[in-house]
Amino acid sequence: MPEALFGVLALFPSADALLKAIPEVKKRGFTNLEAYTPYAVHGIDEALDIPKSKLGVLVFILGSLGAVSMFLFEWWTSTVSYPLLTAGKAYNGWPAWVPPMLEATIFAGTFTAALGMLFVFNRLPFFGHPVLRSKAIDEITRDRFALMIRPDDGGLDAAAAIAALEAVGGGAIESVPERHFKKTGLAWWAKTVVQIGVACVVAGFGTAWLIRTFPTVRPMVEMENQPRLDAQEPDTFFASGRGMQLPPVGTVPRAFMPILAKNADQGGKDLVNPLPVTAPVLERGRQQFDIHCAVCHDRLGTGKAWLDSTYQAQPANLQSTTIRQATDGFLYWVISKGFATMPAYAADISPHDRWAIIRYVRALQRSQDAPARDVK
Amino acid sequence: MSKTTEPPLSPAHTRKRSPRDGRSVSSSEDLPEALRVEPLVAGDATLGKLDDDIRYLSEAKPPRSWYVSLVVTSLMALMGFTAIGYMVSTGIGTMGNDIPVVWGFLIINFVFWVGIGHAGTLISVILLLFRQKWRNAISRTAEAVTVFAFVCAMMFPAVHIGRPWMPHWLFPYPNERHLWINFRSPLIWDVLAVFTYFSVSVMFWYLGLIPDFATMRSRVKNKVKGAVFRILSLGWVGNARQWIHYEKAYLLLAGLTTTLALSVHSIVSTDFASSMVPGWHMTIFPPYFVVGAAFSGFAGVVLVFAFIRTPLNLKSYITERHMDLLNKTVLFLSCLMAYAYLMEGFTAWFSANTFVRYIFANYVFGDQWWAGTLTIFFNCILPQLLWVPRFRRSVPIMVLVSGGVTLGMWLERYTIIILSLHRDYLPSSWGVYLPTPIDFAILFGSVGIFLTLLLLFLRKMPIIAGWEVKSDIARYNPPPSQPVGGLEAEHA
Repeated sequence: MPEALFGVLALFPSADALLKAIPEVKKRGFTNLEAYTPYAVHGIDEALDIPKSKLGVLVFILGSLGAVSMFLFEWWTSTVSYPLLTAGKAYNGWPAWVPPMLEATIFAGTFTAALGMLFVFNRLPFFGHPVLRSKAIDEITRDRFALMIRPDDGGLDAAAAIAALEAVGGGAIESVPERHFKKTGLAWWAKTVVQIGVACVVAGFGTAWLIRTFPTVRPMVEMENQPRLDAQEPDTFFASGRGMQLPPVGTVPRAFMPILAKNADQGGKDLVNPLPVTAPVLERGRQQFDIHCAVCHDRLGTGKAWLDSTYQAQPANLQSTTIRQATDGFLYWVISKGFATMPAYAADISPHDRWAIIRYVRALQRSQDAPARDVK
Repeated sequence: MSKTTEPPLSPAHTRKRSPRDGRSVSSSEDLPEALRVEPLVAGDATLGKLDDDIRYLSEAKPPRSWYVSLVVTSLMALMGFTAIGYMVSTGIGTMGNDIPVVWGFLIINFVFWVGIGHAGTLISVILLLFRQKWRNAISRTAEAVTVFAFVCAMMFPAVHIGRPWMPHWLFPYPNERHLWINFRSPLIWDVLAVFTYFSVSVMFWYLGLIPDFATMRSRVKNKVKGAVFRILSLGWVGNARQWIHYEKAYLLLAGLTTTLALSVHSIVSTDFASSMVPGWHMTIFPPYFVVGAAFSGFAGVVLVFAFIRTPLNLKSYITERHMDLLNKTVLFLSCLMAYAYLMEGFTAWFSANTFVRYIFANYVFGDQWWAGTLTIFFNCILPQLLWVPRFRRSVPIMVLVSGGVTLGMWLERYTIIILSLHRDYLPSSWGVYLPTPIDFAILFGSVGIFLTLLLLFLRKMPIIAGWEVKSDIARYNPPPSQPVGGLEAEHA
């Protein structure tokens, strides 16, 4: 043959005519038949021996996977990663997880059905199909039913195929040439991967630059810029010119003990931890440490917690020799007054809790550097 | 498209089949009048004529009335966006929401549009499972109504969260704060349900459009349009092997989406039913909401078809029988709504709770008595007109009834949300709700968005599922098996 043949195609005016023609063509010894129709014609699968679609199996598997994944995700977020107590309900109250699981099942199932049908079973998109170049395609998508004889193991005798199609009443018989596509070799794949890689790197750096240049986009700032007095702001309403008013002379806040030490070194010498080393004190210390300190200093005090990237400075490593050798009073002064980037916590943590935290820090330090006798 | 295994089509013109059971029946003339079944395709429709009738809409220049309507609806949409912009930049106080009525128009509109959005799935999917062939011709437009209604619906929660530029906070994603959303809250179920429903509806819609895009690809002359349709049709050639998988996927999607359609409004209703508000805390809410959604969805579709059937020349494909069947469904759902209202009232009385009884009396006799009363009138009383067969085929009556139902279903949500919230269990926190012009501007803006999208769809896309209706046409007006001379002449 001068050019490779994809197949010989004939048009029929109705699904009925097509279904009648198929067995006739088969009788003439052609085995590799294909049909192209404007709508799904029933009975054509039996006529052409097309096996049943296995799509349902795929949908079942991935749909079930959707349900299981959602269940595990809900379990992990609700009980492990972020146990949030609401209305006294149990963390692992699974009945409430069922609606999201249902949605996940349907989402996974429907997208598997649609995308699996298109991409896996029908190998679409495919813009190079030889029939797309045929004259008949405009008729097929309109109102004609095409039967195509394709080459089988023994090749295809085009003249015989045309004769057979004519004999069964097919019209507009057309030989559809095969289309040849360049094979995608290793070089093509290598080039594509490199191109995608370069695009990713450029996009990544571009995004990083954008985020650094425009750190926060805040379309609405009324909540921040309220007509209200912030701490230390001046105000003309009062004769004193201050926004915050001074407490009456002689007022002493409840549970307030002023720190008289002028600096951390002085504090380290003057201040003494009044709390005993008992289980309740350490427990209280741990709770307060995990609330206030762990975000920067880490739960073990290593200074490598999840907020360390947010601030420019590295939080102190509480396990370091410097901190180990510092006195309790020094640490108390630092917690109360702040140090370097660290803000003062006097307003947030009561004196009792500050001392308890220090007891707990000592316990943490010991836990990371325990002498042999501790484990006897 | 038929899903049943059928005997081969009869070639003779005189043989007709009953669409009801698929059995072959003799020509209608042989039967007594009561047993005659109208065909679902009127006139001399053929496969090719369907393409000419439907596709020309996107090929021909639209009439002036289309442009005028588009300008009007776009201006409405613009008004809505302006109102939203004003509300967001100025503050939530520009709307009527206040303590105790914290869910105002935004949530009413959300539930209203989600309800209308049930049209597509119910018609396209559930009727497919029930093998109701009359769905074929109306499914595509019904699905479009779904997608566009959900575009409107999804806008409202995004606006209602107060910071519309942070809608991603609604979804679970890993973040620097190590926070996760609370999966035990119905509000997150709602987010997931609406998101799933929208994405699946769009997917289902697109899947149905692929063979029709292939038809458009063959027809358009314009190169740019041709390229667009070539890409959208993904190289579809209508191979029988493709159709086997395609139909399987369609059926699987139908099965799965049915579950979804029934679950979405059930989940939306749990937003209400799981809170301790008189009039909300009821077990009837999920089925009641689903019926309401179906009701408003069908009414929406009737309205759309009542308006487009004549100007778009669709009478051969959307026959009077289609409208009759749609209106029968509206009537049936109206009766179900009446039952749901009665059961709600009964539950309120049976609860023997002063507040719940008071709330239900307040719906119809309170200071906003018109909301509850008109709800009952539009949803339960007015649709009873449809018992008269003549009225089910009369365009003015069906516009009156379906328009009434659409309004009535909006008022129902107004009644449920506003009237329950403004009289809760704590009389000291009772208040009065009054919507502001901004509320109305956003509501009509969403109508504008919906109509704009619908108008664009009606002129630019295949508005009837060609491949499905073609199988109907082949059944009612079978083409001759022999000869094929015309074709040969064309290709000579």
